[in-house]
Parts: sequence; C-alpha cells; structure tokens
Amino acid sequence: MIVSILIYGLVNSVILILTALGFSLTLGLSRVANFAHGGIYVSSGLVAWLLLRRVGLPYPLALLLTVLISGLLGALIYRLILIRVRGIELSEVIATFAVGVAILEFFRWLGFVTYEFNLPSFIPGRVDIAGVLIDYQRLFIIGVGLVLALLLWFFSHHTKIGLALRGIAQDEYTALTLGIESDWAATLSVALGSSLTAVAAVTILPLGIISINTGYDVLLIALAVAVVGGLESTVGLVVAGIVLGYAMVITSNFVGPQWMMVVYLVAIVLVLAIRPSGILGQFKELEERV
Amino acid sequence: MAATYRKERLDRGIKARSDDIFALASYRDLAYLLLPRLLLIGGLLLVPLLEGVLGLYWLNVILIACTIALLALSWDLLASVGLISLGHSLFFGVGSYIAGALNYSLGWSPLLTLPVAMVAGALICTLLIYPILRLRGIYFALITLALPLLFMRVIEATKILGGTEGLSSLSPLPGQPLVLYIVLAAVLVCFFGYRRLIDSDYGLVLRAINDNDRSVMASGINIYHYKAQAVFIAALPATFAGAFLTHHYRIVGMPAFSLEYSILPLTSVIVGGQGSFAGALLGALLLVPVSESLRAFGTLRVVLYSVMLVIFTVGLPEGIFPYIRRKYHQFERPVPVEEGS
Amino acid sequence: MKRGIFALFALVLVTSLISACGAAPQQEQAAPAAEPIVIGVPTALGSIEGADALRAVEMAVEEINAAGGVSVGDEKRPFKVVSIDTREHEAGIPVHDALAAVEKLILEEEPDAIVVGAFRSEVLMASMDLISEHKIPYITSIAMTPAFQQKITEDYDSYKYLFRNSNNAIFFTGYIIQTMNYLGQEFGFNKVYILYQDVLWATGTANGVEGWLNENGWEVVGKDAYPIGATDFSSSLTKAGEAGVQVIVPIFDMPESGILLKDARNMQPPALITGFISPAASASAWDTFEGELDGMVTFSVEVGPVPVQAVPKSVEFNTRYGEKYGADLQSKLSGHGPAPAYDSVYILADAIERAGTLDPDALVTALEATDLEGAVGRIKFSEDHQVIYGTDPKEGALGVAFQWVDGKRIPVFPEAAAEGKIALPEGLQ
Repeated sequence: MIVSILIYGLVNSVILILTALGFSLTLGLSRVANFAHGGIYVSSGLVAWLLLRRVGLPYPLALLLTVLISGLLGALIYRLILIRVRGIELSEVIATFAVGVAILEFFRWLGFVTYEFNLPSFIPGRVDIAGVLIDYQRLFIIGVGLVLALLLWFFSHHTKIGLALRGIAQDEYTALTLGIESDWAATLSVALGSSLTAVAAVTILPLGIISINTGYDVLLIALAVAVVGGLESTVGLVVAGIVLGYAMVITSNFVGPQWMMVVYLVAIVLVLAIRPSGILGQFKELEERV
Repeated sequence: MAATYRKERLDRGIKARSDDIFALASYRDLAYLLLPRLLLIGGLLLVPLLEGVLGLYWLNVILIACTIALLALSWDLLASVGLISLGHSLFFGVGSYIAGALNYSLGWSPLLTLPVAMVAGALICTLLIYPILRLRGIYFALITLALPLLFMRVIEATKILGGTEGLSSLSPLPGQPLVLYIVLAAVLVCFFGYRRLIDSDYGLVLRAINDNDRSVMASGINIYHYKAQAVFIAALPATFAGAFLTHHYRIVGMPAFSLEYSILPLTSVIVGGQGSFAGALLGALLLVPVSESLRAFGTLRVVLYSVMLVIFTVGLPEGIFPYIRRKYHQFERPVPVEEGS
Repeated sequence: MKRGIFALFALVLVTSLISACGAAPQQEQAAPAAEPIVIGVPTALGSIEGADALRAVEMAVEEINAAGGVSVGDEKRPFKVVSIDTREHEAGIPVHDALAAVEKLILEEEPDAIVVGAFRSEVLMASMDLISEHKIPYITSIAMTPAFQQKITEDYDSYKYLFRNSNNAIFFTGYIIQTMNYLGQEFGFNKVYILYQDVLWATGTANGVEGWLNENGWEVVGKDAYPIGATDFSSSLTKAGEAGVQVIVPIFDMPESGILLKDARNMQPPALITGFISPAASASAWDTFEGELDGMVTFSVEVGPVPVQAVPKSVEFNTRYGEKYGADLQSKLSGHGPAPAYDSVYILADAIERAGTLDPDALVTALEATDLEGAVGRIKFSEDHQVIYGTDPKEGALGVAFQWVDGKRIPVFPEAAAEGKIALPEGLQ
C-alpha cells in the first residue's frame, strides 16, 4: 500500500508539474497570462492524433510536429490577441480564456469525443517495481517531467534568453533600455509555453483518452500548481507539484476518489487567501494586498 | 491645394440645452431626456403582452435573458467598485440552493423562499468573500473563479443538498405572463436603483475605491466596509436570479454553480459596456436571445460566443452602449485642418 | 476597426435572427399526402447512445412509412421525426439548458409523441413535470433510474404519459447479480471491488449489487464513486490488487471509463472484469482498445447491438442497421439504447392502430396493453410503465452479458441467450 502510494503519488506529482510547466513559463516568467492553456493542451493531443491516424506519419515525427505546431499556435495567440491587451491583466485573462473555450468547444463540435481518440503509449508494456506493476508510459512521464523541470530552471537562470524573459517581467522599461524588446520576448515566452504544454500533453495523454473536459481541468490544475508554488519560481513549481500530487493521491486512497478534485480547488482558495505569493514566490509586491 | 479634414465631435444642441439648464425649456428637451428611459420601460413592460406574436417559447427566452440581466447588473456594480469576479455563479448557486432547500425540506412557498434566499444568500456570499477583499486585481478574480467550482465538487462529494441528483419537484411559480412581469419588475428596479446609487455620494466613494483606493484610505474611510457593503448590494439581484430560476424550473442541482452562469453575465457586460448599467442590461437582452436562436448549431454556439467575447475584449473594450450613447448625445462633422504656420 | 466590429456583430445578429425564424430542430421529410404523425426525439445527440438511438428511430420510421404508414382510424398517416440536441451527457451542462431544449421542441414542433427521451436520469426526472403539463406520450429508452417508476406510481394521473421500454437499473442489477452468482458458484470467487460513476442510475445499480453481494457471502473490499470526467482510477485498482479481489465490477457510461480498462491491466494479481463500461460494449471496441479487452465480461443492456440467436428480431435489427448505415456504424452500435429506440416506434404504431386516435389519454391506455415482439424480446409494460426484463425472451425482454474472446463477443448470460461459457483470464484459475 505504502509503496504504491509513493509511486503513484510521484507519478501524479510529475503529471501536475508537467501540466503546469508551460503555464508557469508564460505567467511566471513573463507575466503574460495565457489562459488558453487547456485549449492548447487538448488541441496538441488532437493534432498529434490527426497526424498519426489520419495523415499516417510515424509516431516520433508526429509528436515533433505537434510540439512545433503548438508553439506556432501560441505565438499566433500572442500576436493576434494578447498584443492588443498587453498590460491589462484582466483583459488578457478573459480574452485568452475565451480563446481556450473556443478551441475546446470547436473540437467538441467537430465530434472528437469518443474513446477512439487516444494516443498510443510510447513503449507498451509494464514493469514490476517493488511489487507494484507500473507501465512504461508512467515511468516515461517521470523522466520527461523531471528533465524538463531541470531544463526550465537552467533556462530561466542561466541562459540569456531566459534572463531576458525574466527581465521583461520584473521591470519592462529597464529591460527596454537594455535592448530587450518586450513584444519579441513575450511572443517567445508564449510560444515556448505552448510547446512545453504540447510536450506535456503528448506524454500524459497516452495514459487515457483525449477528453475535451480535461481541457478545463488542466487549466485549473496548472493555475493551482503555479499559484501554490509561487509565480516565477521553478523550484516552487516542483515543490507545489509534489505537495499537491501526493495530497491528491493520499486523499483519493484514504478519503475517497470524489475528493480528489476538491484538493486543488481548496489549495487555490487557501493559498490566495493566506499567502498570495505562494510558497516560494518572489513577487511579494505590495500590489497584491492593500 | 486640397484642404485636409479632420473629424470633430460636438455635443448636440439639444443635449447642451437640456443638460445644464435645470429648468427645462420645452417639451422637446423633456422628450430628449425621457424618451430613452420610457422606451426601455415601456418596451420591456409590453413584451409579456406579445405572447400571441412571439409565442410562449420566446417569452421563456426573454425570462432567461432577464435573469442573466440581473446577474450582469450585479457584475457591473462589483466592477464599478474594482472587484472583478470571474465566478458570479457563486451568488447564483447560493441563492438557488437556499431557495431550493427551504422549499424542499420546509415546504415554504416561493413567496417566502424568494426574499429569504435573496437576503440570506447575499449575506452568506458577503461573509464568504469578506476575507479575500484585501486582494486586488487578478488574485481576487482567480479566487472567485475557484470558489463556485469548489462548492460544486464539495456538494458532489458529500452528497448534501441532493448531491449530483439535486432537489426536484419544487413548487412552481405562476405561469406566463405574470412570472415575466415579476422578473421584469426586478430588472427595472435593480437597473434604476443601481444607477441612482452610483450617482449618489455613496456611489462616489465606491467609484473612488475603484480609481485609487489608497487615497480613499488616506481620507479616513474604511474601504473594506464599503467593499463589503458593495458586495452585499451587488449580491442581492444575483441571488434573487438564482432563487427565481430554481422555482421556474422546479429543480436545483450542481449545475447552478457551473461556469456558464459566470461567463454569460461577463460576456453581456463586455459586449454592452462596463460602467453604465445600461450596457449590462443591453448586453444581456441582446446576447441571450441571439444565443438561443443559434441553438440549432449545437456546440458551435459556445464557440461563437467565445469568439465574440475575444473580439469585444480586444477590439472594442468599451462595448456597444457607449457607442450608442455617444451617437445620441454628440455628432461629428468634418472640419478643415488649419495649415501649420 | 470599430466599425468593422460593429458590422460583424450586426451581421451575426441578423443571421442568427433569420436562422431562428427558418431553423427549427432537424427534420426529416416523410412521405407527403396525409398529415404526418410527429415523433419528437429530444436527447443527447452528441453521446454514442443518443446518436445511435436517433438513427435507430429513423430506420424504424423509414420501414413503417415504406409499408404504408400507420392507420389512425381509417386514415393511413406517415411518421415524421424531429430531433433536438440537449447536450445533457456533457459534464457541467445545466439541467436547465436541457429542459429548455425539450421545451423548445415541444412548443415549436408540437410532437404527438416523444421517444428516446432523456439521456441523464437527472434530466428525465426534471422533464417529468414538463411532459405531464403538455400531456405527450413519452417512451424513454436511455435513462435508467427506478425513481422514474416510483414517481409514476405516486401520482399516476399526472405522470401516466411516461413509459420506459429500455432496461432499468433494477433489472440491470438483477443481471449483474445473477452473473456474480454464477461466478461464485462455478469458480468459488468471493472477493469483489465495485467502481461506479457518480450518477443516479449507476449509484442505484452499485448499491443494489453491493447489497446482494453482502448478503450472499461475498466480501465487498471497496465501493468507489467517480465523478463524470474522472480519469484516474489507479487508487481503487491498487487497493483491489492488494486485497486480492477476483472480480471487479465497473459501472460507467462516460467515454473516460475506457481508461479504467487500461489501468486494470496493471493490476497484480489479475481480476475478472464484469460490468458495464460503455465504450467497451460496441463491436468496434476491440480495435479501439487494441485487444486489451480480452476476457472482459460486459453487458449489452438490451439485446440488439449484440445479436442473439434466441431473439431473432435482434439479429434482424442488427443486420438491417448495417445495411442502412454501413458496417462501420454497425460495429459501433452502443450497448444501450438503439434497440429499444427502434422498438419504441413500433410500439407507438401498434398502440395508435389499436386506439384508432392520437388522443393522449386513449394512447396511454393502448400503450399499457402492449404485447409485442421486438428487437429486445417480448415487450410488455408493468403497472408502473416499465417493460419487464427477464431471462426468457418468450416471456419478457432481454439484456445480455457477453465476454470478449479473441475479438468476438460471445453471449454468456442469461442461459436462454448464451452461446458460450465464461472463461477465466490467465492467472486467475
């Protein structure tokens, strides 16, 4: 029992971290709210499915193309929509959220709703770890998730582009004087965020089906992890992912599966009410509370 | 050389005359001021009598439009204080469940449950929101997004108040057209009441909190009390709308907290124009029938909705009503540009 | 820019108003001449069960019209189908919205009868008041809650217009129980885990099954409810594995439940899966699941989608559906809904001919006296307006449990319909 909770908890935590990575990159690093996150997640899954099943591409190529297409989609969202409301946070939230809903419901209207829409596992099969059978896809998720988190941390702290993105978030005008163009940086961050989301989607979706409803849940989960961990902090993201992931699995095992979804909603409310900057957040500005 | 022209906007003569001079000079001035309001009230009050022309189905649609208008007006008031709520279904759901529970377990008639649900619901929502009034901007909005979903999941998990099944077979309301008059009266009272409120001194404080809350604090006013009062006043029509629809459909369930009741008023206000309550009313009365007539398209309807929301948020943030109002009060004329000296 | 947006908005407004005047719920042209009898189908057309049921209804209407129509008194009139999508199978759709759709259908199309009916039991219960207000004979074929019948018995005069000809949760529970009984006696199993979807019909079924199991020597290791849209079932499955259960009983109608099957393969030791997972019931499921279904025992809630030799009309239904809609749609026939939907049209036609009129009250009396051979077996209504399901197709209607073996669906229960015996998966002998 304990072993299986440990392992499945870890898997769940990494799933949460992966889901939130793309969202956190845009919101945390560059303060651009991209609430179309759920829409991009599901659309990447469906694009991958289309490329695989309808166009007939080999799986790895389809996945690569999907990531690129999602990046393009993110850049398009920024160029067409976000650029016009940049700075007005609320309008950003509403506009991107509406775009997300439009994407999700558009796919639902086209009929992508049955079990047929699922992605195959990368490597089918299972392996026994300490008495618990776990499939390779889940192990893959753990690997990919941790690697990506590390890459994100490295990217945001030690590469020029990453530092440029953080600069835009911290003080736009100073960044401008240093030659970092705000729009270019923001486009890049939204595109990168979308690509990361696509990677998360194609890694996680083989566990189940591509269900349109998960689009809405994904946004809330990403929000929960980002808020609990604190925006801008990659370490906070990982910590929050682990905390929430284990909390969900433990609740599911000991209290009941229906309570699983309540956990992250409660987390959002509690954290925002008590400590809006999150566990390891750095934006402890006076702007949050009066 | 051809002269270049620019557009100049001026107040209409009749506006200038009827605006400043308190003693109105003529019936024309009176009409200019009163006509829009009378048209609105008259038009709305006439609608239930058109049952023969429109059919029962469209009267029902207008009824729904009015409940959404109540939610939109409520949203507009909160936005005027600076509190943007992405989860207005919280108010709607609380009102619905209180009315439903009172009717189901205590058997109270709608005459009792509606007012009680309205006031008690508003109180409960104010108490729920009070602790988070300190937050600003996007953080407040995020919590309001999460709260109704949280309630929905908790009801689902604990199975209280009917759980996933909900409470059904509640007492009905009187039929059309009386029921439409009830909700129309509520809309008109709310609309004109809010306009009065925001124009008064009290409303001035509220608007000031939106503009610059620290200066209001510096004036020695406790903004939290004002914000809490504003939440209470704004919650009243929203909880009423929830209780009303509960009795109209004779059922209350988890969907009372669904995202749809948060998005619809939001879209109405953004399309209509935030700030003037007329925009919220206009938006709701426009959007709901349009959405209904698109029902044949199925899910595409939600897509069209969202696309419209995006277009208006990005391209026309002030909404339709300010445009109409400007056209009514001002006119444009081309004026030659003077050559620079 | 602003003018453009206004123009766009005005365009949308005008087009939608025009389409409102012109567009009604989808219609199908029946034969002209005599005034058609309007059959309304308000249901979740986006769900597998709903869409298949509508196709089955249209097939039946086509057959009846081709044979000349229905005699109402001395006039022969054709059927006409009008439908509307209530979207009630989606998570988070307000019941209000579904009710508004049903009301729109009733007010605009004025149907003489309604078939297929609500998809979600919650919507069915909420619609009952609406239907009794408009006095329209209503035969539902999808929603399964027994609370429906209770309400009819409690207030017969108001709700007598409502009937159900599909299986209901009580009979369905009976089928599951009898299968479990067989498993207990034949293989000596005694440990079970129940997972179910948190909706009315599934909760009722799960409670019924649990009650019987507890009283008959089985150990119910756990019973977990999952909300619509849940995708992670691993906690229940690990608990089941640790306790060494031999049988898992899933009760789901959402597409996400397929994930449960995938996860169940991770269970150590393996267990026999016996229950209802809606994506696993259709013939095409074998390919969709890439063979991971092998050994699962699932139910076709009514025969028809699974043709059973003991009910010849079920075979007919299946073949004709394939001829009309193609082999692809035939293989995707869902396990619950299409066959009773098909039958309901014939039940209506039969009742109308016996009553000689379309008057609702007369129709109700005629419906109550129905005794017909249909695709589900023998159709007879009980006093609370529910078709009786049992184990003998000569006495009543039939649901069937079948096991997936090598890509084929072998009916295993009830005995009258069985074409094979339950075989255990490896590792469970």
